[in-house]
Amino acid sequence: MVNRRTFLKTTGVAAGTAALGFPAILRAQPKEIKIGAVHPVTGPLAEIGQACRLGAQMAVDAVNAAGGIKSMGGAKLTLLPGDSETKPDVARAVAERLINEGAVMLTGAFHSGHTMAMVPVAQQRRVPFLVDISAADVITLNVAQSVKEGKQKTQYVYRNFPTTTVFGRKAIQFMNEIFRATGTSPKRAVLMYTNDPFGKPQSEGFIKAHKEQGAPFEIVEVIPFPEVPTDLSTEVSKAKAAKPDIICPITRPASATLLLRELAKQRVEILGVISPGAPGLYEKGQIDALGKLIEYTMDNVPWVNPVSPKARKIAEEYAKRSGGKIFDTNSGYSYEAILIMADVLERARSTDPDALVEAIRATNMTDPIMVAAGPVRFNEVGDTTSASTAMVQILGQRPVVVHPKESAEAKLVFPVPKFWERG
Amino acid sequence: MTLALIGQAALNGFLFGGVYSLMAVGLSLIFGVMRVINIAHGDMMVWGSYLAFVLALRLGLDPFVSFVLCAAAIFCMGVVVQRALVNRVLNAPHEMQILLMLGVALVLENLALVVFGPDTRRTESAYGLATVWLGPIFVDVARLITFGLALALSCALYLFLFRSDLGKLIRAAADNGYGALVIGADVERIYMVAFGIGAACVGAAGALMSALLPFSPATGFAQTVTSFNIVIIGGMGSLLGAFLGGLLVAVAESLGAVLLVPSLKELVGFVLLVLILLFRPQGLFGGKTT
Repeated sequence: MVNRRTFLKTTGVAAGTAALGFPAILRAQPKEIKIGAVHPVTGPLAEIGQACRLGAQMAVDAVNAAGGIKSMGGAKLTLLPGDSETKPDVARAVAERLINEGAVMLTGAFHSGHTMAMVPVAQQRRVPFLVDISAADVITLNVAQSVKEGKQKTQYVYRNFPTTTVFGRKAIQFMNEIFRATGTSPKRAVLMYTNDPFGKPQSEGFIKAHKEQGAPFEIVEVIPFPEVPTDLSTEVSKAKAAKPDIICPITRPASATLLLRELAKQRVEILGVISPGAPGLYEKGQIDALGKLIEYTMDNVPWVNPVSPKARKIAEEYAKRSGGKIFDTNSGYSYEAILIMADVLERARSTDPDALVEAIRATNMTDPIMVAAGPVRFNEVGDTTSASTAMVQILGQRPVVVHPKESAEAKLVFPVPKFWERG
Repeated sequence: MTLALIGQAALNGFLFGGVYSLMAVGLSLIFGVMRVINIAHGDMMVWGSYLAFVLALRLGLDPFVSFVLCAAAIFCMGVVVQRALVNRVLNAPHEMQILLMLGVALVLENLALVVFGPDTRRTESAYGLATVWLGPIFVDVARLITFGLALALSCALYLFLFRSDLGKLIRAAADNGYGALVIGADVERIYMVAFGIGAACVGAAGALMSALLPFSPATGFAQTVTSFNIVIIGGMGSLLGAFLGGLLVAVAESLGAVLLVPSLKELVGFVLLVLILLFRPQGLFGGKTT
């Protein structure tokens, strides 16, 4: 029977042991290095945000299982997960909070708008921020510019992800190669994009690359739509009226679903849907929801290198830990960001921000798990020169790399069967 | 810009307007009777959508059939929310009511996140991709059915309110709660039923809409804002106003997407709101404000 006295006695003893015991345990453990990761884990981008978070967590686990940061006495990484709730102001506030909780480096934030909101925090608080996913060029460019002009002393923001410029160039290059290889020549393209800090620059990058590199097709209509859209039927009617041969959509999950269904409903006759690079067209949830409507959709996205044995092993583990989801652009790049950070910490031998920046600038990581044009190195703007894309097509209800040839897992299908003739 | 394109946009908007109307009618009823703004309206709608999704997945029920069950379930949800929570703040200042309903909205949204996960879903329907072509213009069968059902439900609600005894009592309580109490009406029960019916409307709208548009736990808030916008345009507390307001906003947004840039279409609905507030603050069909 526990009465008040015995209760007080036992809890008192327990509290005393705890107070005495914990510092001793802490001293015995190797040092812990905290990394803050901000992703849209709830809200409209939740499926993607959760993929990013799991990717980052798995990378942290892998680094720790391999002995942590060896140059710092086997210090273990701890992921401080932050949820931006798919809102830029929250992303900024969460970044502040994670720094207050002891994060020495930041990663995130998937949405270019959110990443931009976090940039000033990283610069002001002098916390190196390795952007895992966000394409808008200005994210690193603005900081590099102000350092160059002497307004800021050091650049703390770096990125391992293709910029919208890279996306645009690769999209046009791949499309030209694919059209040549399949002996097709689409004449009219309609570009549809989600009007947000990702979609707008992404569409501009595509238009610019189209002008510079040239392509057999003309962009006959450009249709922006709001995200999250309530209805895309009118937008698709407008696209159909332009008599397109191909539709180039820049979407997010909700708009991708609406768009593909409307294209089928309105019987828009096209050779195929080819995205210049956008989410919403390859995730497991999207494939499950859209079925045959998403089949054959092509997307020019950064992708996990299917030829890399290391990446394959991670993909298997990811499927296990996520309940059967695909190790893709988002989980993959969030994973790789942590690997780069571990490599940086290993070489910096310290968590001092300037030592970390120096180590980031000297990065030369071979064998990246994502499709890349060479080892991971950062240029003067703070972007990796290697970050690249692959053309991914949904074949047999699975996203597979179909182009470029050296990474291809399967032969691409183009032109694609009509939506309403797919059994 | 062809005439066919404009006609198509107007038709699409009009047929889509049915669900807008239904959700606005629910909000308007709740506000008209209790003077409480149901900020959780859109989240109740999302729950209606998820129920339709689950019923389609598990029992293979088409959302155009299962909307009845969804409406009944959300009716119960409405009754519980009213009994347990709203009833306590009926005479409290508006800001307290709004805070309470905001809390309910947050709980419902995050509960949906826990139960159904964050993924964007859509309910499969046999008519999901069916279309009928009338020359250059097509009629989306799913939208047509949705519109028909939304219209039928709104008419049924109208008949209930104007012909049945309980309906007349609800109107009496809406007109003058104190007066209704004086003549011996069980006002508490009336409020409960009215809130339940309002919730059932949006639950049915959610089930019907789930076949047309993708949804996730996060989409609720936008639907609340849209419903609220429609109700103000139509006139607070006016059911006819809410119904016609829904059609008006849907057609205006759809035409806005054709005539302006599509990303400006949501602006159109809110420009309508501003114009209404400037020139006819009581709404299109609202009575004199008291």
